[in-house]
Amino acid sequence: MKCDDCLNQLAEYIDGEVVAHEAERISAHLINCAGCSSEFESLTAEQEIFARYDRELEISPAMWSAIQARTVSECRPVDSSPKFNARSWVAGLFALPRLGFAFSGALAVVIIAVVVGVMYLKTHQQTATPETVAGNYKQIVPPVSQAGGAVPSVTPTAPVEEPFKESVSQRKTPKGTRRPTRPDDPGVLFNDVAYSDLAERDTAEHIQQAENLLRSIRSLQSSDDDGEIDVSYEKAMSQRLLSENQVLRRDAEAAGKFPAKELLGDLEPFLIDISNLPDKATPDKLRALKDRVQKTEIVAALVSY
Amino acid sequence: MMKRLAHELSLEGQPGAFAASLMNSSADLVARASSGDQEAFRLIFERYSRPVISFIFDLVSDRSLAEELTQETFVRAFRNLHALRQETKLSTWLFGIAKNVARESLRARARDSRRVELDDKAVLDLSDKGPVPVNQLLNKELNELIQRSLAMLDDDKRLVFTLKIFQQCSYEEIADITGFSISKLKTDLHRARSEMRRRISPYVRL
Repeated sequence: MKCDDCLNQLAEYIDGEVVAHEAERISAHLINCAGCSSEFESLTAEQEIFARYDRELEISPAMWSAIQARTVSECRPVDSSPKFNARSWVAGLFALPRLGFAFSGALAVVIIAVVVGVMYLKTHQQTATPETVAGNYKQIVPPVSQAGGAVPSVTPTAPVEEPFKESVSQRKTPKGTRRPTRPDDPGVLFNDVAYSDLAERDTAEHIQQAENLLRSIRSLQSSDDDGEIDVSYEKAMSQRLLSENQVLRRDAEAAGKFPAKELLGDLEPFLIDISNLPDKATPDKLRALKDRVQKTEIVAALVSY
Repeated sequence: MMKRLAHELSLEGQPGAFAASLMNSSADLVARASSGDQEAFRLIFERYSRPVISFIFDLVSDRSLAEELTQETFVRAFRNLHALRQETKLSTWLFGIAKNVARESLRARARDSRRVELDDKAVLDLSDKGPVPVNQLLNKELNELIQRSLAMLDDDKRLVFTLKIFQQCSYEEIADITGFSISKLKTDLHRARSEMRRRISPYVRL
């Protein structure tokens, strides 16, 4: 590949918009060409600068209220199917034959139960130790099997966003890498002091996610030998992690955290390659990537971080 | 299996998030909201308001106007949810509405009085020492530098640049949102990148 060809496609390559075989050619050229490699560095540095852009916009509750006020009148009734109504159910229990008496009785029973419950709690209350608190809130990471499957937890949680390309400026804050801005905040970006435990925690979280991604890639399998494999999700995730990786790597470098910087630097080519995979990857392409993951033992390096 | 794993991964290890996400997928929320479920629409708002307001702010460079136009975007979205085709991504559709709302607003205003009056020679009075490493630039200065540089791009370039660089849309999605051909948006993006680099490089060492 000629340098001109490479340079012409470099921005698209970073954006993950070149076709797979071109991406491979560019990757190979970048390894051997210092000039193009330096341009590549400049472009990624530029991306990082834009990733730091913070518009400091807030979504005020008033905004939703205003929208609601304008739309609520247009709402139709949501669901006409009969719903479970606890109140009428309780009332129904005591409906016959003398509601007033029955309700009073039920209320008295409830009050007694509450009082007894409170007294019981007071006598048996234990002070929660930090360990028990930590245990209660320990994050459960879905187990990943070698076959690439995860056991979905059934614990209900708050609604969670489906994959959505969140603005880089919001995401860029790999949480905590930016200190909250205050009027008197000198606002110096990422010096040694700023590279705090929070930043290390973000790096650790990022590495954990990258590890999961690589494990997922490593265990991808086609149902038949010639079949293409849908990696669109892995690709999207890799693109997201790539932006984070660039920011975190620079931060680690600025803070003199060289082991973290090196690890993130080693990880980056994998993220770029996954980002540049076609949505439907051929088994050969995937095998080559898996082999590289295997040979470089990048997963082990991530695990040991 | 892999899809499920991938989905789990994207939820950053939150237990039960997979189950919850199934219940609140965009398609499900859209279906519920278009039948009048305000709670479902509130979830859509919570999910997408931040990227939408950021996108609009990048186009209009005015905080209070961006808030106002974000409201308008979601009101229009609510009224037209029934028109959302199943194959269209909700985010792409919302960005499309936001773009129209922002452009209408910009057209309605006298642009010359709104646009940032700066020339290329002095985007900001930041430094007289030449470009400095980005780490030495104050947050506020960097934000202002990017915002003003962005405001100096022409409308099409700013639109494409914002969608690609800040919202990380694919070319295909940008084409859907803007109605531009892929070749036009590639050209615009290339030029926008060059202009942004030219404006930022005097202050920040790349």
